Amino acid sequence: MSEVDQKLISEISEMLSGLNKAGIEITADTDFNADLNVDSVAVMDFVLMVEDKYDISIPINLLSEVSTVGQFAQVVAKARVD
Amino acid sequence: MEALDYAAAGETGFSFYTPRGDLSGTLTFGQLRERSLDLAQRLVGAGLKKGDRVAMIAESTPDFFVFFYGCQYAGLVPVPLPFPMHLGGKEAYIAQLSRMMQSARAAAAVSSAELVDYLRQASAGLQTPMVGTHADFYRLPESKTPLPRITEDDICYIQYSSGSTRFPHGIAASHKSVTANCSGILNHGVKARHGDRCVSWLPLYHDMGLVGCCLSPTYAQMSTDFIATPDFARRPLIWLKVLSENKGTISFSPTFGYDICLRRAARARSDEFDLSAWRVAGIGAEMVRADILARFAETFEPSGFNSKAFLASYGLAESTLAVTFSEIDTGIEVDAIVKRDYSLTGRARPGQPANDALEVRPFAFCGKILPNHELAIRDNEGNDLADRLIGRVYVRGPSVMNGYFGDPAATKRVLSKTGWLDTGDMGYTVNGNLVITGRGKDLIIYNGRNIWPQDIEWAVEGLEGLRRGDAAAFSVEDQDGAEEVIVVVQCRATDKDTREQLEREIAAQTRLIAGADCKVVLAQPRSLPMTSSGKLSRTAAKANYLAGHYSPQSTSVALRTASSATISAMARD
Repeated sequence: MSEVDQKLISEISEMLSGLNKAGIEITADTDFNADLNVDSVAVMDFVLMVEDKYDISIPINLLSEVSTVGQFAQVVAKARVD
Repeated sequence: MEALDYAAAGETGFSFYTPRGDLSGTLTFGQLRERSLDLAQRLVGAGLKKGDRVAMIAESTPDFFVFFYGCQYAGLVPVPLPFPMHLGGKEAYIAQLSRMMQSARAAAAVSSAELVDYLRQASAGLQTPMVGTHADFYRLPESKTPLPRITEDDICYIQYSSGSTRFPHGIAASHKSVTANCSGILNHGVKARHGDRCVSWLPLYHDMGLVGCCLSPTYAQMSTDFIATPDFARRPLIWLKVLSENKGTISFSPTFGYDICLRRAARARSDEFDLSAWRVAGIGAEMVRADILARFAETFEPSGFNSKAFLASYGLAESTLAVTFSEIDTGIEVDAIVKRDYSLTGRARPGQPANDALEVRPFAFCGKILPNHELAIRDNEGNDLADRLIGRVYVRGPSVMNGYFGDPAATKRVLSKTGWLDTGDMGYTVNGNLVITGRGKDLIIYNGRNIWPQDIEWAVEGLEGLRRGDAAAFSVEDQDGAEEVIVVVQCRATDKDTREQLEREIAAQTRLIAGADCKVVLAQPRSLPMTSSGKLSRTAAKANYLAGHYSPQSTSVALRTASSATISAMARD
């Protein structure tokens, strides 16, 4: 994993802290659904927060392919390039 | 189709917005007609025959409308399909598309370039010869093949909002029923007038989005603004932004849409919106919740919102869209009835909300039946019930569907030979004014979306350590009518970690398959009730749950076979 990705993942992890009720350690492999167990409205809030922070729009079809924090970071990285 | 020919003569049309609520494009009715006719010639020239189904992902873009109306001119039947909404939901989504396309026996399938790979994966193994992007179809050769003649009994579109995702039932709406319903919506419902402007964030694969906010406006030459549903889900306040900037007069939503705006209202400036032109704020697709609407009205009153703009309605896709509308300019009217009476005797006796000794529950009036349609409330034996007696709601009239596509057995279960549609909903009338009290069928409505409990149960039972018959999904309502999804699962494991892990997996699975948050309840093995024929009784499971039989503290044993008294009480509740 490149340095940029690692930085992005730690930024995303920080933004996720509000959703991390169980206080687990967030890594690239953390699964939003199975590990964080966040509800659907909270997920939308989180996506919105990320979009606003980086001033990007994340296409919905890409979100449906995201299960883990690492995959989410890749989608964010791609949206920032586009 | 004739409606579009009419609309095309005017200056009006559809507008589209970016995820942040800025105008991204327009399509006048004239342009829509021209592009649809051009496409229709190409589709017919490519060999598609009258009545063939064309599956299309219902993205809120100009292309969707060109394809929807292109099919109308070509005598083809559009089948609007959902788009992916949930984080990580890709696999379940593709499986869902595939089953719908199979059920509709689609001859062609089309989507934007972003989603076409999903469509291709979904059509693998199906007899769908033509799958492509909008651009692929626009590139089909021109042709001079004459367009077929359409009659009012031909199918206008097929809508998949009924039946589980595993066994979807496509509702076949005829041109006659669509015309009848749109006329009822415009004349009896919103009482359309010159200069009206509609704003919609509703999905176009759902009847309220498609019929209410796309087909009806066409009949009235009414300009309409479209916000994509996923964009609304992320930034609900763009709905109010577009309404403000365009002086929108008509907009519909389930209660959920008003609720989510309310939750985000703290982020808005008080002078940000001007909702003073909004004369019809319609509510439909789920229970009308007076408490939330009152808070919405209060919060947005400084923005010019008038609570009299609320228009309660009731409907279902099996009757095209609308069945009843309340009167415009009156707001929400509620009937507070005594809880004890309606649960014991099925009688909706008005109570005094001020008197705490009587436990009353408010229900919203949903208004009167459309002209040329009939409404009946019946008991379990099929007898008509008088005013203020709660029973099953039946509808008859020109808006009622011909049937479920290719599924006469399913059609027969809900549609009688004499044309009466069993809505599956429970309610009563007061001088013809309908009140919906609940559902007599096992259906969960979550944020305005219909979810079949079987879908959740099947998905959960596929988890490791669980078997067929281990899960029961249903929804319970609180005092104010908010629905919570409950999943009761028989669990053999006894150690805490395994049980907690299972709970998380069940919640995750429910979110993936149904996009719904739920409360997971682990129950003892063999504690889910069965009917006499050995099928799960969700009604009895719900009664057990409400009686506290599944709570960890409970020492009582859940009733394996719920008593008939419990079941009949539940059916009325």
